[in-house]
Amino acid sequence: MTTTRPGIERIFSWSALDEKSRVALLVTIFLVVSIAPAVGQSIETGWQVVDSGTDTDLNAAVTHGESVWVFGDSGTVLLSEDGGLSWEIQAALGDSDLIAADSSEDSMAVLASDGLVYLMEGLNADWQTLDSSRTDMRSLAVTGSESLVLVGDSGVILEYSTGTWTERTSVFDKDLNDVSFRDDLNGFAVGDEGMILATTDGGLSWDYRETPSGAEGSALVSIEYFNPYRMFAISDSGQILYSTSVGGYEWNLREIESVGYNTSLGVSLSSLNVVSSSKILFAGEDGFLGLSLDQGLNVEDNILPEGVSTSFNDHAMFDYLAGIVVGDGGVILYTESAGENDRVGFEIPDYNDFGEFVEYADEMLLGGFIATVKVVLFGILFGFLIGVILAMMKTAPTSFKNLFEGVQLSIVKGIGGVLSVTSVVLIYTGGSRFGDLGLEGLEYIFTPVGDPEGFAMFALGIGLLALGIQFSLADLKLSGPLFKVRPLNTLATVYTDFFRNTPLIVQFFFIHFGLSLGMRLQQIFEGAFGDAGLDGLDYFFYGDRTFLSAIFTLGLNSGAYQCETIRGAIAAIPSGQMEAGRSIGLTYIGTMKLIIMPQAIRICIPPIGNEMVNLVLNSSLAMVIGYSELSRQGKLMVATTFQIFSAWGLVMISYFVVTWTLAMLLRRLEDWSRIPGLGISGGS
Amino acid sequence: MSQVVLSIRDLHKIYAGGVHAVRGVSFDVHEGESVAIIGSSGSGKSTVLRCINRLIEPTDGAILLRDEQINTPSADVNEVRSRIGMVFQSFELFSHLKVLDNVTLGLRHVRKMSKEEANEVALEVLGRVDMLDRVDAYPGNLSGGQKQRVAIARALAMKPEVILFDEPTSALDPELIGSVLQTIRGLADEGMTMVIVTHEIHFARDVADRIVYMDHGQVAEEGPSSIVNEPKSDRLKKFLSSINEEH
Repeated sequence: MTTTRPGIERIFSWSALDEKSRVALLVTIFLVVSIAPAVGQSIETGWQVVDSGTDTDLNAAVTHGESVWVFGDSGTVLLSEDGGLSWEIQAALGDSDLIAADSSEDSMAVLASDGLVYLMEGLNADWQTLDSSRTDMRSLAVTGSESLVLVGDSGVILEYSTGTWTERTSVFDKDLNDVSFRDDLNGFAVGDEGMILATTDGGLSWDYRETPSGAEGSALVSIEYFNPYRMFAISDSGQILYSTSVGGYEWNLREIESVGYNTSLGVSLSSLNVVSSSKILFAGEDGFLGLSLDQGLNVEDNILPEGVSTSFNDHAMFDYLAGIVVGDGGVILYTESAGENDRVGFEIPDYNDFGEFVEYADEMLLGGFIATVKVVLFGILFGFLIGVILAMMKTAPTSFKNLFEGVQLSIVKGIGGVLSVTSVVLIYTGGSRFGDLGLEGLEYIFTPVGDPEGFAMFALGIGLLALGIQFSLADLKLSGPLFKVRPLNTLATVYTDFFRNTPLIVQFFFIHFGLSLGMRLQQIFEGAFGDAGLDGLDYFFYGDRTFLSAIFTLGLNSGAYQCETIRGAIAAIPSGQMEAGRSIGLTYIGTMKLIIMPQAIRICIPPIGNEMVNLVLNSSLAMVIGYSELSRQGKLMVATTFQIFSAWGLVMISYFVVTWTLAMLLRRLEDWSRIPGLGISGGS
Repeated sequence: MSQVVLSIRDLHKIYAGGVHAVRGVSFDVHEGESVAIIGSSGSGKSTVLRCINRLIEPTDGAILLRDEQINTPSADVNEVRSRIGMVFQSFELFSHLKVLDNVTLGLRHVRKMSKEEANEVALEVLGRVDMLDRVDAYPGNLSGGQKQRVAIARALAMKPEVILFDEPTSALDPELIGSVLQTIRGLADEGMTMVIVTHEIHFARDVADRIVYMDHGQVAEEGPSSIVNEPKSDRLKKFLSSINEEH
């Protein structure tokens, strides 16, 4: 006989469908796709185009006092006195391209591609022309009213101070692209192949900083030394580098969350502007403008005004909101919101629309589904383990008489004495707690209210007293009724009776809130393995105390029921099997383990499956302790959306999927573990 | 006379309900001897057999295995049982294990042999009972006779000092009995020490060196197998004639 496995081709096959079914399927797919959520919100750009009056490429922008200056190709100079809204063309500075500019409180300087540097000391003063006599410089920084630092090709660093040019050639010959100073002493320069150089003496000597791994091949195009704890740099391949150590001794490559923890934004960056310790503006080629509010961890693409798609070259910001960005073709954009995309209008979700309901509910439902599966899996394992142990305890034939046979009588009497004393202490302590309650009169003897602990001590004390007296009075033959008591069986019976005669919902309340089991376990785990992180395996296992409580409650409860099922299966194994096992010399436990249990478990797979399905359904009660499983998520979904039919319908289907899958797996397990001559044959 | 392997002295068994099933039974089993215990139902012969490996705890009396008393609380019951083989009326094979594993179970978990060693021993004893061709079968797929032969192999594998047979053919169809009896006869010829509780009078006469006839919990007559042909006591005569009437 061969069995065929139901593959996907048996469940679904396009070629097997007839014409009508195909049309119906396509229409269904179309309908599902077309129920797209309606969004009542539009997103608009935070930038506006201002008229620059020129169409040459604009390369650099700086604020100087109240004014803002823009410099471009062919000596173009633009000035705005009203914060960047209207522009006047100024007299050209030479006829070479102006490629970089910088300003400090006292001075502003502009670098031209022919090696001339134009310096303005103070506000609204005349331009002085300085000649660096080199044409391969790329950027400059103002370090004082009459001092500058220039960087350029092959690692050349020029320092200008009151009329004197000094060349500080670094030992590294990589091309340097940008330089930034925080004050007159501390500065950074960056260049090709991840080069980062630092100075703490105004540019006299330069130290090398290690490039973070992953940026070794990148050309770093811009750096900003914002404050002693915040330094940022960008590369032309879209990487963001940052350092938060004083002096910038350690640099890291940002794993950008908004692009899936990639290290590159995927665009070629040209400029960055840090406006606060966490807010950074980015500009790049092909119309890229970006904004990060968390030091580059998340970068939002700015929407551009219609018709603008130029490459941007530099920012000039007055404060952390207002400023401009300049680009090729004379483009100047102005913002009062740091370019942040502007959300116009607000969203009114219409949950009557099934698409929108699903959009809201899917994550909650999935979360609940996973939580349910999680608690069910562990609950089943735990419950089965408890069930097996309890069933073996219940069937264990060992009585006190068996235990004490061969033990000296004086020892038995000694144990009896110890038990008697212990029991008297327990009865006295428990009893005096009743006295403390001030309840007088016999009718309160069954009143555990107020002090269940005292009640438990009292009851346990009475039980132990009986045993103690019996043991103390033991004779050689160990006759006497209590010697016939099987202690393991009694323990297991008390356990199962307790769990089967109290409601599960009360057990949840008692174990989670009364015993604080979840919290205690969590503390134990944390003591052993360290703090639970917010994600990862630690959190999966013990991050959520309701999860721990739920596993234990479901497992303990289900174990009590499974115990009876397994015990029945053990009883169904012929007694000769135990005799046969013992007669070849196996111990009782050995026979149970090797002979009885393997057969009993096979027999009880169908009824145990029943218990497991019950456990899944019972897991819905975990909502009362706040465990976010399917039912609780369903309740929350209803509370928000009022879509009662859809919410509970989806929850119901989810439960069905879990239980049905479980039942299928158990049926497979039954087939797989079937052995000739054992268990029900001809089933499934 | 050869050495005494098993000695039963004044054995008594009173069941919990007060039934006095065995009333002072004594007999010896010598090395290489096969002793058949016969008697009508309820005569206590199975109780005696089960007392020997302490599946039933005797109320009074002594059982000595090689001059060592085994029914004391201090005797290691598991060790004692591993030295005494037992074959049951209803086979009691472990139905979840294959034939080979049924035989090796005791070797591996009691004798602590490795799997290879145990398999070697098991294959040898399975060969002796002519079951080599079914080593990979489950007990559920075997006939009654085959099951009983596997059960005999399971007892043999432990190299016991004595094997107890508790009515080994009672649960078998008549045409299957032959192969089992032949196996037991083979063991007797090899000099295995055996105690056999049986209803098969002819078999007992053929195989047993000595026959113990029990009635009402007592040994009514004991002697060489010829006593079946020439019974002395009236009770044995009556028993034999009632059996002959049946046949």
